[in-house]
This record gives sequence, structure tokens and C-alpha cells, in this order.
Amino acid sequence: MDKIKIQFVLNGETRQVEVEPDLLLIDLLRERLGLTGTKVGCGEGDCGACTVLLNGKNVNSCLLLAARVNGCEVVTVEGLGSYDKLHPLQEAFIAEGAVQCGFCTPGMLLSAKSLLDVNARPTREEIARHIAGNLCRCTGYTKIINAIEKVACADRHCACSREAEEGR
Amino acid sequence: MKKRGVGMGCMWYGVGNTGLPNPAGAHVDILDDGTVLVLTGCADIGQGSDTALAQIAAEEIGVRYEDVRVVSADTGVTPDAGATSASRQTYISGNAVRSAARAAKQLILETAAEMLGVSQEEIIAGDRLLKVRAASGKSQAFTDCQSECRVGLGLDSGSDTREVSIAEVIAKCRMKGKLTLGHGWYNPDTTGLDAETGQGRPYATYAFATQVAEVEVDEDTGEVTVLRVVAAHDVGRAINPRNVEGQIEGGCAIGMGYALMEEIKLQEGNVLNCNFATYLLPTSLDVPEIYPLIVEDPEKTGPFGAKGVGEPALIPTAAAIANAVYDAVGVRITDLPITPDKILAKLKEKQNKGA
Ligand code: FES
Ligand code: FES
Repeated sequence: MDKIKIQFVLNGETRQVEVEPDLLLIDLLRERLGLTGTKVGCGEGDCGACTVLLNGKNVNSCLLLAARVNGCEVVTVEGLGSYDKLHPLQEAFIAEGAVQCGFCTPGMLLSAKSLLDVNARPTREEIARHIAGNLCRCTGYTKIINAIEKVACADRHCACSREAEEGR
Repeated sequence: MKKRGVGMGCMWYGVGNTGLPNPAGAHVDILDDGTVLVLTGCADIGQGSDTALAQIAAEEIGVRYEDVRVVSADTGVTPDAGATSASRQTYISGNAVRSAARAAKQLILETAAEMLGVSQEEIIAGDRLLKVRAASGKSQAFTDCQSECRVGLGLDSGSDTREVSIAEVIAKCRMKGKLTLGHGWYNPDTTGLDAETGQGRPYATYAFATQVAEVEVDEDTGEVTVLRVVAAHDVGRAINPRNVEGQIEGGCAIGMGYALMEEIKLQEGNVLNCNFATYLLPTSLDVPEIYPLIVEDPEKTGPFGAKGVGEPALIPTAAAIANAVYDAVGVRITDLPITPDKILAKLKEKQNKGA
């Protein structure tokens, strides 16, 4: 099979790679580029462990052909924060105890980011709806939703953080 | 019409098998800079044992949590701690780590006693310091205090002003060529079970829990929505309350899946529903509001009073939900999962009987 030359922005860096037409994005990221933060849970679009951002939207990278990201921007969990400076969502996940085995966490973080980027002050209901495609077997979701809510509140001085400040 | 109901489920669950030997070991090395290195075979699969074991070592030795480094489940270097299963690791490896930490601390205490010119019994440890306990007797020894205050509360207040830091004591130890290593292991007394009857004393201790579920049942569709679960768990002593809450919340979600949706369908030994599209797990939209309640009744044989919570967290949930369904619509479903078709069939049966 002839390879296809693609160019895309990965975690802020322009990358040029040659891919087989049937190569999946998840395999390009993990096997070819060594970014193993993105997980493979089911490989068929049911669990969300493989979630990455494609032009800011949360997508299942196990369902996408790598060639599809030509000309696009892709963000994986490696592009979210660094060891020295974690992303506020990562900080909040740690602080709230939202990580147990951690297998769902990279996907959860990126789904959460894609929500907060378009809806700065989501309700708990909206958060739950947005991460419904990301399965978590460990946490019961409560602390994950708490963590996402915390970032939304901290960022935007919403009503609940004001209440906390005023000690109500 | 939608009807609401409330149900309760209770459980007790054995922690620390005694039917067969059930040991765990640990090594503790207090390094030159005061860092405490813990080696344990205990595999942290997300339940948070690395965190709990670090807290136990810190509390026993008298350093801070952040001074402890845990190396776990590396068969090249860590002693056997058995499986992460049966809700046993906090209890069994927790005791092993505590005993290893105590052995290492003993070496420090010997040297500190010389430096301070007092007997070891007069020394209390906490927050990286070894202090001479006040003579007035107005306070308890730190070892007594440990069994009575929550892990992490730290120092008891009754010390006089003489103190040395753990780092100073270690430096002194090193000058004498003394390393500060400890090892320990724990095995709950193996009682064995009667080979004929299987009877005996199978566990070292038991965890207890009660959960209450509130559900809404749609009589037309048979659909059950779990609105709320209140889950009270006796964990002995919560080494890390937030982690315990996480275990309870996760357990309730799994228990809810067990009650309402999870079912492995088999045909001649083949699994028919081997993916997440056909074997359903609760999503963030399915899980109810969960209110974990931690009950602390310290277990004498547990590390700082702790037992286990991993599996207990999901055991009473299905029973509570099944009882809540009965309370809501008056039908008893006795095989899980409680699917809409089972509810509709029972409701019809009930109607026909009534007619
Ligand atoms: S691995 Fe892609 S959705 Fe499960
Ligand atoms: S933390 Fe284990 S699956 Fe979410």
C-alpha cells in the first residue's frame, strides 16, 4: 500500500509523517510517535480511553484514520501539562482524588478540557453529559465531576466559588 | 407512572484470610537525608495502597508523608506481599510496613536516647523530630497517642524543650557505621479450617456496611433510575479518608451496574456480549448521587486500627436497590440484573393475580 504523507500540529509542534492509509490515529500516536499517555480500552469507540482533541473537539482516536488528521491540530494528554507545570485540570484531578487506576484519566482530562473550552461554567449535569462517553470503572465519577467543576469555578469566579470565598 | 421507593442492604465481609497462610513483608530504609524508603510487594492497582502505606510508615517513624518514597510491586526488589485481592492489603501489608518501620525506628531511638541522655521510652517522635517527653505525665507516650488519634495528626504536645531532628540522629548513626534498616512481616494467625466441614475461623477481622438506595421505577417501561445511595462503611480506621470515599463511591457504581445492567451472556461457553456496547457499565449519566459515610471502630489488630473497604463497598448496593424496587412497585426481583423486562413481567403477573 502506498504511504500517505501528512502534516499536522501535535501538541503545538508541526509534525510530518508518512502513514499507511489504514493506520489508526491511536496507533500512530502510541506505536509510531511513542505517546503512550493515550490509552486503548476497547478499540471500538465505546470507552473513551483513547480520547484526544482534534481541532479542539474530543474524539475517539481508535476510530479515526491517521490520514484524517492531515492539516489538523491534535492534542494528547502529553500536550496538556508538563511535569513541572500541570494543567489546572490535572491539579484538580489530583486534589479531588479523581484518579484511581488512572486508565480513564487521560481521556477524561481531554474531554473535560473540550467542554470547558466552549462552556466555561457548566453545571454538574452538563459535565456528566459531556463525559458520558468516557467510562470509568473505579471512581463512580463523583470525584471526577467535582474536579472538573472545581476548575470551572476557579477560572470564572462563578457563584459557587464566590460563595466559598464569602464563607457561606 | 413513576413510583419512588427506598431500600436497605447490609453486609459483613471477612478481611485477612486465616484458613491458609496469608503473609506480607516489607523493608524500610531511613536514608541519610531522612527520606524513608519503603519496599513492599503490595501492588497498587488504583485503590491507593502506596498512599496508605506511605502514611503508615510516616506516622510510625515520625516523619512527614512527603518524606516517604514507596517502591511497590517490583519483584526484582520488593518482598512478597501476596495478591492485591480480598480487600487485604491495607490490613496485611499495612501491618507489615508498620512493623518494618518500627524496626527501623528502634535503631534511631537507641541513638537518640544516647544523644538526649534519656531512656528510649521518654522519647516521642513526630514531624521529623525526636523530643523528650515532659516528666509531668500530663501527656501520653506517642505510641499510645498513635493508636488513639487519626493518622497524620502528628505530635502530642507534652514534650520538654530537648529535641533532636531525625536527620541529626541519622548523621550520628552513620558516624558510628550504623545503618537504619528495618524489615517486618505480618501474617494473621493461621487457624486453618476443618478439612471435612470447612468450618472454623476463616478471617482475622470483618468489615461491616449498610447502604440505603432511593430509586424511581417507571411502571410503564420497567426502567429503574437510582437517585441516591447513602453508604455507611465501618473501615476500622480510615488511613486516608478521601481514598476511602473514592473506594466507596466506585463500589456503589459497580454495585449499581451489578443490580441493573451488568450481565455476562453465555452460549455454550462463549461470551456473547464481550464489548462495552453490549455489556453495559454505568456511565456518568447512570450513577446516582452517592453519599459515603465513614464509620470508624478501630480494629485492634489492624495498622492504626484499619481494616479493608475495597470489596465491601459494592456488596450491599444491589440488595438495597432490589429492596427499593420492591418498596416502589411491590414486586420482588430475585435474579440480577433487574432489567425492565423482568419488572414488567412481574408487574403483569401481579396484575393478573389481582384481577
Ligand atoms: S479505545 Fe477508543 S473508545 Fe475505547
Ligand atoms: S480511574 Fe480507573 S477507570 Fe477511571
